[in-house]
Amino acid sequence: MPEITGFSFPNDIHVTWSLMIVMYPYITGFVAGSFIVTSLYHLFDRQEFKPVARLAMATSFAFLLVASLPLQLHLGQPQRGPFVIITPNFTSAMAGFGILYSFYLLVLVLELWFVWRQEIIDRARRSRGMVRAFYAALALGTYDTSPEAIEIDHKAIKILAGIGLPAACMLHGYVGFIFGAIKANPWWSTPLMPVIFLLSAAVSGIALLILIYQLFARIDRRPVVATCVSALASWLWFFLILTITLEELELIVMAYEKSESWLIISELLTTRLSFSYVTMQMIVGGLIPFILLAVVVLMNRYLHERVRNTLATIAAFLTLIQVFSMRWNIVIGGQLLSKSLRGLRSPYEPEIFGREGVLMAIALFVAPFVILWIFDRVLGIEEPEGAGGHGSPPAGQASAGTPAVTHVP
Amino acid sequence: MEHGKHVFRIVILVVVILTVVLLARGFLVPKTYGLYGRYRGANVGEQMNIRPVMHGGAAACADCHGDQAAKRTAGAHKNVSCEICHGPLGAHVKADGTVVKPPIDRSFTLCARCHRKVAARPAKFPQVDLDQHVNGPVEGKVCLQCHDPHSPKP
Repeated sequence: MPEITGFSFPNDIHVTWSLMIVMYPYITGFVAGSFIVTSLYHLFDRQEFKPVARLAMATSFAFLLVASLPLQLHLGQPQRGPFVIITPNFTSAMAGFGILYSFYLLVLVLELWFVWRQEIIDRARRSRGMVRAFYAALALGTYDTSPEAIEIDHKAIKILAGIGLPAACMLHGYVGFIFGAIKANPWWSTPLMPVIFLLSAAVSGIALLILIYQLFARIDRRPVVATCVSALASWLWFFLILTITLEELELIVMAYEKSESWLIISELLTTRLSFSYVTMQMIVGGLIPFILLAVVVLMNRYLHERVRNTLATIAAFLTLIQVFSMRWNIVIGGQLLSKSLRGLRSPYEPEIFGREGVLMAIALFVAPFVILWIFDRVLGIEEPEGAGGHGSPPAGQASAGTPAVTHVP
Repeated sequence: MEHGKHVFRIVILVVVILTVVLLARGFLVPKTYGLYGRYRGANVGEQMNIRPVMHGGAAACADCHGDQAAKRTAGAHKNVSCEICHGPLGAHVKADGTVVKPPIDRSFTLCARCHRKVAARPAKFPQVDLDQHVNGPVEGKVCLQCHDPHSPKP
């Protein structure tokens, strides 16, 4: 039997937006977060991110391909994926997602093409038969790798990164808008929602890159560039501070105002969400990585490389949990309120198997890594030795070797 | 722009993709879309035609089961339709007139749907805290051991 508490309306019993709706902003967050990292290099010339710039772009692409799957699994109507893009219904809030998703996909694919163009052409030249035809088609039949053509590529990458960054921010900010614009729900309805979603997307993207950069380096037996990890850790700390500050400020405002909704929200946070909010989002995923990253950033010069990498890795892993908990607390927490705002619905426990179950959520998280592996096989994520400047800023600004260390916040 | 050939090709490819999307949109938006609202208008008729009428209403049940119907209309469940517990008429009397035994929901969960204690229900409405009300395990047809659903008494 459902366990409703307080003055709940009799038809306010179940949570209908399942774990898949938690996965939707979680996965979309990685798209925007990784793109922010790649933009720091391509757009703002932060040389310390050079080792992860291509990886970040490929990660953004891999997660973008999976981003709409949780929604389709929840709806059980796969054709609605392409339909939301091709035939949007403009009275629906989701129409905006279709438009922003397809626009960002287009910009990202174009940028990927310009960044990997020389690699595609090199592979086309090296291969024979069907493989050659495949790469020749990918290169659109032009094999121009003259310095002038590469210069044009650099300009195109810069322009596309300039369009892509606001597009990525809009894409994820929009996911926050979808919740923030539901005015009947006081736990969702705040203009801060898109901002918090966007900042926590940056947190999750950077944290994921810290993990997969070191993981891939270990698999390929390459050294991890220390300046890159410490720069990523610094930015992770910066965005984590912003995210948690805003998350807390939102709550403090509600608590201080003591508006009618605070009564039920405080009950929600101390009963149904006490573990996922207080323990996971605030302490395990918030406070602990905050301290670890503070050590990494403030005591950077005293830390041995292994210690720094380990601390950054643990902090990154915990912030991934923080962001997941935040998505969970927003999506599930918001639905636990009865529309009476005087009672709580039955707690939500996701199924293990089934279309919207835990195993499916894990599969959704693993799928982008499979896409990354295929991407690596087809195009190669790592910059080939001696290639020097794929997608890097024009000569003179970029150095091909170990990136110069520039100051980080 | 001798070296910008690849840029022209990718721009043409993008234009082709956008054109295909626009053309696809023309084909994919159904002709009767927007006839009544933001959905395919013809769907209303189609759905109506593919679904046989299943429910007959309490009056149809009374044609054969007069005694039970009279008992129900005299009791507290006079506003609860027969088909809520006994299933739709269409599943009991087939289109060709054959009669099959209907599946009856006698579970305590069906009773609890209306009579479980919920603070938001009107105070006068009969409702119970299941664990305190039932002496023994709350399971199966436990409610029907004491209550007659055709003429329930508190």
